[in-house]
Amino acid sequence: MGSTTLILVIVVAAAASFDFTNGFHDTANAMATSIATGALKPMVAVLISAALNFLGAFISIAVATTIAKGIVSSSATAGTSGLFVVEAALLGAITWNLITWYFTIPSSSSHALIGGLIGASLAAVGSGAVSVHGIFQKVVAPGILAIFVCGIGAFLATSAAYLLIRRLGQEEARAGYRYGQIGSASLVSLAHGTNDAQKTMGVIALALISTGHLSAAHFTIPIWVKLLCATAMALGTATGGWRIINTMGNRITTVESPQGFSAEASSAATILASSYYGYPLSTTQVVSGGVMGAGLGKRGGVVHWPVVGQMVIAWVITLPSAGLVGAAAWNISNLFGKNSTAGAIVIVVLVAAIAFGLWTLSKRNQVTAQDLDRTSITPEIEAERAEAAGAPAVA
Amino acid sequence: MFALAASTAIVDWNAMWKIFLVVLIAGTGTVIVFGFLLLGLKLAHRLGTNDAEVGGSEGARAGGYVLAAVCGVIVIGVVVLGVYAMSQKPSSKPAKPKSALVIPAGPQVKVLASSQ
Repeated sequence: MGSTTLILVIVVAAAASFDFTNGFHDTANAMATSIATGALKPMVAVLISAALNFLGAFISIAVATTIAKGIVSSSATAGTSGLFVVEAALLGAITWNLITWYFTIPSSSSHALIGGLIGASLAAVGSGAVSVHGIFQKVVAPGILAIFVCGIGAFLATSAAYLLIRRLGQEEARAGYRYGQIGSASLVSLAHGTNDAQKTMGVIALALISTGHLSAAHFTIPIWVKLLCATAMALGTATGGWRIINTMGNRITTVESPQGFSAEASSAATILASSYYGYPLSTTQVVSGGVMGAGLGKRGGVVHWPVVGQMVIAWVITLPSAGLVGAAAWNISNLFGKNSTAGAIVIVVLVAAIAFGLWTLSKRNQVTAQDLDRTSITPEIEAERAEAAGAPAVA
Repeated sequence: MFALAASTAIVDWNAMWKIFLVVLIAGTGTVIVFGFLLLGLKLAHRLGTNDAEVGGSEGARAGGYVLAAVCGVIVIGVVVLGVYAMSQKPSSKPAKPKSALVIPAGPQVKVLASSQ
């Protein structure tokens, strides 16, 4: 096996590993509120989400053949040298995903990938490789707007849902909204698979084009790439990111079924509309905004702002932090010589060691599926609790 | 003025208002329509069980089912539209420019195809 082929194999494996972390990191986006309200058992929720993520990867014919387009110069990721930049970027993103997972913070996997790419490109090519305007246009502004657009939608939807509950009756409404939640959360899972799996397909496709294994003139994503990305993301999702699900479903606000449905329906609409109009918004930030909006939309609803504050800090530092790790990975690799195979292997081993360390540390304060199971809270119990807390009474 | 000009350059407001409109119609709207679906079912079931509190005729019961059915169709329609939007999202594949499609490949820049 030649050195270029070996680097290609490493990049493909790193891309699949990134998809795996993306899967368990972002499961929370789709299923956290359904788990929090007891609409679904945690394991059932993540298995549905995994299946839909897998399916989503095959739905769209549109594939992101450019990563961080308009942010990082395409020359930075082209050719054999570009493979090393992409590898460092992927490893930076994986590391940041694992760090935020350990600290139970929902952060954007896409932003981590972009951050890793910016850092590795800066280290490899210099400041000319990165567009600051592109960062604001494609990362910062959409990140802020996503929260407000989905948050306002969820706020209005929640307010309307609770008005209708007055006519419907607490128990029947809550039971009905639980079914709605399952549908809307499934749609978010499907959209997540469509958007995120295809970004990684694009990364692998570019690597294959760079090494001459794929023709750019007659470009199609090989079926094995689709299967690899879809499977990696589905497996990651199936492992269940319980730590982040706990934050999204239980720590931002106390979610009831009408709020969960409102948050997920608004999130699905926001993600699909933004994707359709070509203005991709981060799934994580969209859903977080939805959960906050739903929390505020209920009369007397409480949003735990210290938790939101932690999330916002994580969102702000995701780009520079993943960038620093990406740059560090590229520099460490470069210590062994330019485009060195040994360097490429060393940084993989380092990231594997970090992953193992974080996984071991996480065992100390483990969050399991059993901890999050709320299916014992029936719509009747939820209604009683809501009435006790002063929610709208049955008409 | 500067802030407005800067925000216009950074934010695609044309796409943003469309997204917001879709969120209001498909997101908020679906939650409301789903609520009416539940209301229709409740009305039909209550009347079907001769609930004395509500009372009403067979016509009202049928009205409940019709309301639920119409709302159900709308909700399913929105979901189908959502899946359709997923399958039709714009490709980020580099579009063919008028002169040539160029993909930089490190030191060797390849001219891959010409549209003319």
